[in-house]
Amino acid sequence: MFENLLQRIISPVENIFREFGSIGLMFYQSIYWMFRRPFKFDYILKQMEFVGLNSVLVVVITGVFTGMVLALQSYHGFRKFGSEGLVGMTVALSITRELGPVLTALMVTGRAGSAMAAELGTMRVTEQIDALMVMALNPIKYLVAPRIIASFIMLPLLTIIADFVGIVGGYIVGVKLLGINEGAYINKTIQYLDLDDIYNGLIKAAVFGVILSVVSCYKGFYTSGGAEGVGRATTEAVVVSSVSILISDYVLTSIMF
Amino acid sequence: MKENTAIGIKDLHKQFGDQKVLDGINLDIERGKITVIIGKSGGGKSVLLKHLIGLVKPDKGEIWVDGLDIVKLNEKELNETRKKFGMLFQEAALFDSMNVYDNVAFPLREHTKLSEKAIERAVEEKLKRVGLLAFGEKMSSELSGGMRKRVGLARALIMDPDIVLFDEPTSALDPVISVTIEDLIRETQTHFQKTYVVISHDILGMFRIADKVAMLSNGRIVAEGSPNEVRRSNNEMVQEFMRAVKMPALSGGNYA
Amino acid sequence: MHRQQNISTEMKVGILVVVGIIILFYMSFRVGKFGVFREGGYDLVVFFDNASGLDPKTPVQIAGVEIGKVKSIQLEGYRAKVNLLIKDKIKIPLDSKIAVKAQGVLGDKYIEVKPGGDKKYFDHGGTIKDVITTPDFDQIFATVNRAAKNFGDTLDEFSGIIGPKEKENIKKSLDNIQTVSNDFKEVIRVNKENITLVVKNASVISGKLGSIVNDVEQGKGTLGLLVKDETLYNDAKETVAALKTISTDIEQGKGSLGKLAKDDALYNDARDTVKNIKDITAGIQKGEGSFGKFTKDEGMYNEAQKTMKKIQKGADGLTEMTPITILGTIIGTFF
Repeated sequence: MFENLLQRIISPVENIFREFGSIGLMFYQSIYWMFRRPFKFDYILKQMEFVGLNSVLVVVITGVFTGMVLALQSYHGFRKFGSEGLVGMTVALSITRELGPVLTALMVTGRAGSAMAAELGTMRVTEQIDALMVMALNPIKYLVAPRIIASFIMLPLLTIIADFVGIVGGYIVGVKLLGINEGAYINKTIQYLDLDDIYNGLIKAAVFGVILSVVSCYKGFYTSGGAEGVGRATTEAVVVSSVSILISDYVLTSIMF
Repeated sequence: MKENTAIGIKDLHKQFGDQKVLDGINLDIERGKITVIIGKSGGGKSVLLKHLIGLVKPDKGEIWVDGLDIVKLNEKELNETRKKFGMLFQEAALFDSMNVYDNVAFPLREHTKLSEKAIERAVEEKLKRVGLLAFGEKMSSELSGGMRKRVGLARALIMDPDIVLFDEPTSALDPVISVTIEDLIRETQTHFQKTYVVISHDILGMFRIADKVAMLSNGRIVAEGSPNEVRRSNNEMVQEFMRAVKMPALSGGNYA
Repeated sequence: MHRQQNISTEMKVGILVVVGIIILFYMSFRVGKFGVFREGGYDLVVFFDNASGLDPKTPVQIAGVEIGKVKSIQLEGYRAKVNLLIKDKIKIPLDSKIAVKAQGVLGDKYIEVKPGGDKKYFDHGGTIKDVITTPDFDQIFATVNRAAKNFGDTLDEFSGIIGPKEKENIKKSLDNIQTVSNDFKEVIRVNKENITLVVKNASVISGKLGSIVNDVEQGKGTLGLLVKDETLYNDAKETVAALKTISTDIEQGKGSLGKLAKDDALYNDARDTVKNIKDITAGIQKGEGSFGKFTKDEGMYNEAQKTMKKIQKGADGLTEMTPITILGTIIGTFF
């Protein structure tokens, strides 16, 4: 009875550690296989198309509307102090530092991370991963590493697009719709926005790309339990990736800024 | 180990949780023959097969392939051994992202430096052998179960492996298709003279093609020998199996 | 995995990568401070007693034009040592002054350099010594607060003048009054409310005026900052004149009760005055007042002082007066 209770307390903690360990191990193996010949450029390219290109539209829409709503919200605040010119700065800083990388990562998690988990999960339950191993091919190298590399490269690219369209969206709402002085808007934006803000945002995005791809691949790679297991793995991949992204965002922010 | 042994299994143990799946398997698989391992569904047949190719590590025991105990090999050495194997999975395990042609060509592209021309020749030869030459452009999702298995067989054979493993090749197929797959296995084996290891619960179908049969029950090999030897075995499990599939027409009414 | 498909994948990914890099370069170019930090420049040092609101990259301006930035801020001794990076092409004369300014009440701080006329210029590493300390808003608010407190104190002092001794006298006077005719009572009864009001207001006002005068005497001239309103200034002037009239009247009349009660002109004067003074004090409280002008105007100041003296004299006179003045009576009924 008592042992049972102890077991029920210990085992979830144990599982968390085991999971962290497995994710870390998978990341380590991926790094190891990334630098072993032959390089699977066509696989990486395919994943870049999948993670990057196919996410462009959703990222652009997210970015534009985020910028627009930021402009609208901050306008009402700044108008009370007669400093509407700061709207541009607020939009630009919020987007480049936080919302660009984070929202892009979350959108890509929803779109591509879930698909990664589902794909790898399906490959696992239909023994395609075993088939690769039987062919003396390392599934980490063929399946996981290209996805991580592609996410690592594409997330910053998507983020810079989101940053740009977000700032443009803010500009349209702020200057064209709300009639904020265009010169003040642009100059304040340029004055307060540093290159570091943009670059740190992109570094964040690259880290998020690694996190979401490693977690999603891990969840897919170790799927068990047939079609139902694939569904569960997909859900877990999205949830765990999103939460990890938000947590690591705090950590990264506290380190960077 | 005898000269003509392709795979030697010694005292193999595997346990999942509290369940003993393999409890001391001893089996020699003869070179250039079709060995069928018969057992109940969920009786550990697939686990045994996966041990042979290093997908599952045993808790205890040895598996000898060409003078190497593959249990003790590291990943790189294991991959060298795996290149001698081909495997047809239960659901064929074709890659969804590729069409039939690319699926079959995949091992060649990854492991050899052959020109696309040479690869094409090899792939077409194998596809012709399984009767699917016209289906190269199809995606695996467009194929029926039987066709998928045939593509899987073509892929398993593409590297001209010494040993081919079959995981339930006729499960989930209708009887007519099952027979064609069985015939294909027999036919290709006769042609290439490789070592085939088949696991199945389809005792009647397999008895048609087997050179050697091993009966797996409760984690042990309870009977082995030629199909006729096994059929006449008075082991309880074998008898149970034989009774279960008894059909007057096929069994010749001997047990009426 | 068809060859043709591969090429188009490469193209598409390639286009995306190129677009991303172009955007990155464009934004970097727009945002990049290809100004001071890239061009280089020379260092200047300045010590401030208070560098709050200054950050690295805070702009340094001459005549509203950016000429450099704050490079770093450290504490040296107990003062803020601020390193400035000034563009190379900007030469700053040795006798220049420097100040921390803010763009409006809530605006950002910046550093303003007021160039001098010297023909010699600062070199790299030079220290600008002539720091103008501008009062910040905190200090101004503190001053205003102090002034307001002084108003209150003076008011208390003034009411203190009517001490127990005076009250005793007034009581006696009241006893006397009771023996006077019914007419008298009637008059008091009819006009009581108005009169008390007048006197109450008058006392409050003179108290406030007194404090102002005190402040002025103590040289708390900062109120001047508040002043711009011409009409308020004029109002104050009129008020002081009116007050003077009243107190003169009081002095001259040593007023029999009947006179004040029946003298409509005086009564109205008093009421107007009270109203005016009320407006002024309200104005001051709102901060729009013309007190600066008021207090800085020498003549006005003297007038006010004189008036105050007269009022005080009037109040002093109360205690000596027999028969009592109407003012005394009314104050007595009130206090």
